[in-house]
Amino acid sequence: MDFKYLIIGGGAAGVSAAETIRQNDPAGSIAIVSDEPYLLYSRVMLSKPYFFLGKVPFDQIWLKKEEWYKEKNITFLGGKTVGSLDAVAKKVSLTDGEFISYNKLLIATGVATRKSTVPGADKKGVHYLRSLDDGKGIMGDIKTAKSAVTVGGGFIGFEMADLMQLSGLKTTVVLREPYFWDPILDEESGTMIEKAMNKAGVDIIHANEIVEILGGDRVEGVVLKDGKKLDCEVVIFGIGTVGHTDWVKSAGVEVNRGIVADEFMKTGTEDIWTAGDIAEYKDLLLNERVIMGNWVSAHEQGRIAGLGMSGQRQAFRFVSFYTTQGFGITVAFVGDVAPAKDRSVIKRGSMELGSYGRLLVVGNELIGATLLNRTQEMGTLSKLIEKNVDVSAHMTELDDPAFDLKKLLA
Amino acid sequence: MANTKEYIRNRADSKIGKIVVDRDLCIGAASCIAVSGTTYELDGDNKAIVSGADSADDATLIMSAESCPTKAILLFDKDGKQVFPK
Repeated sequence: MDFKYLIIGGGAAGVSAAETIRQNDPAGSIAIVSDEPYLLYSRVMLSKPYFFLGKVPFDQIWLKKEEWYKEKNITFLGGKTVGSLDAVAKKVSLTDGEFISYNKLLIATGVATRKSTVPGADKKGVHYLRSLDDGKGIMGDIKTAKSAVTVGGGFIGFEMADLMQLSGLKTTVVLREPYFWDPILDEESGTMIEKAMNKAGVDIIHANEIVEILGGDRVEGVVLKDGKKLDCEVVIFGIGTVGHTDWVKSAGVEVNRGIVADEFMKTGTEDIWTAGDIAEYKDLLLNERVIMGNWVSAHEQGRIAGLGMSGQRQAFRFVSFYTTQGFGITVAFVGDVAPAKDRSVIKRGSMELGSYGRLLVVGNELIGATLLNRTQEMGTLSKLIEKNVDVSAHMTELDDPAFDLKKLLA
Repeated sequence: MANTKEYIRNRADSKIGKIVVDRDLCIGAASCIAVSGTTYELDGDNKAIVSGADSADDATLIMSAESCPTKAILLFDKDGKQVFPK
């Protein structure tokens, strides 16, 4: 097979790139290779209660129909995995033995879930959440389960604990860390979240981890590091992600934590771009190389890569954000929220007030924010970050939770 | 659709007359804000609201609706016919 544009990865980044390419090049052949058999679906919906609990029809998950691919003349090669890449001959081999030649290549494979290696981790009832099939597996198991253990204090852990509890399962969260979302959030934010989880009936066990999963064919319980045993029929791990990039590295493409790209989402290798969760790109606003693994970034990066591939170079200049909600709390991250020594923190509100934001400042400029029950400030904050607004004269106002941030945009 | 909010659009150069946000579907992913920060904002419930119904052109507005990972944004033409999602 031979395509002008070859896209590895059928998620938000890959499809957004294909759509952009088609706008610029009405005739060039485009193929999307995906390791999943499905057309574009909403990965973020997999962990949302109204979908999970069947409050909206399952079919709501499909974002593009077969007709769309046909109409745009995009060939979808589903259920296929890339084995190797030859960046000189400009072709990839699939594990089923086929070869595909390309003119321009986009690697937008996303990342895989990090798997637990404890004894018993292969039992039925042990789950991760990345793909639609993962989601279906969890939905199937919770119908008969009475209790669940979720592992990890990040987005997946938070959303899965919420879902398990809403599904009527006795839910226990096991964290290695001293509090939820450590170290991205401070202890006050973590405590605010945990109080809401506790109130809903979720137990949280800190500074601990699962060392063994018990049961026969199926999960019956877990053993923790301190020897404690918990009965459960479902275990969900949300313990991070890994990029499968060996085939990319072998081809000579630079890989660090992700596939290294410039601000145009272009790798250092000729005619190869990258986008989405797997891309480690030069962020112009933060002036550092970052990975921003979320839906919004994937969609935007795919568009930028698609523009570059079809000959319209545009830099990726974007303040990323991500939000979630559960247990009556909304959580939003804006911009760069990585904890680092050079950042000072301005606090807005508090746990007692029921809404608590942290504005991260380097020098005179905002670079990021974490917001609990203050998502209405997210849009304004992203603009303040994007415009590099000097906030040095407003530090005391920023400290006041009632101060209208929009005033700084004027 | 039980929980929707409608926003009338009055742009002369536009074919779109109404933006509807389904608040049950909206999860506050804010991809719409990423595409058109002048059209949308999030409210305190982490749901998208339209604060500038006339600010973006039709192409941008359609792109913002297409970017939504839950198809919570619906667009209608001036005769009330749904144009997105198709």
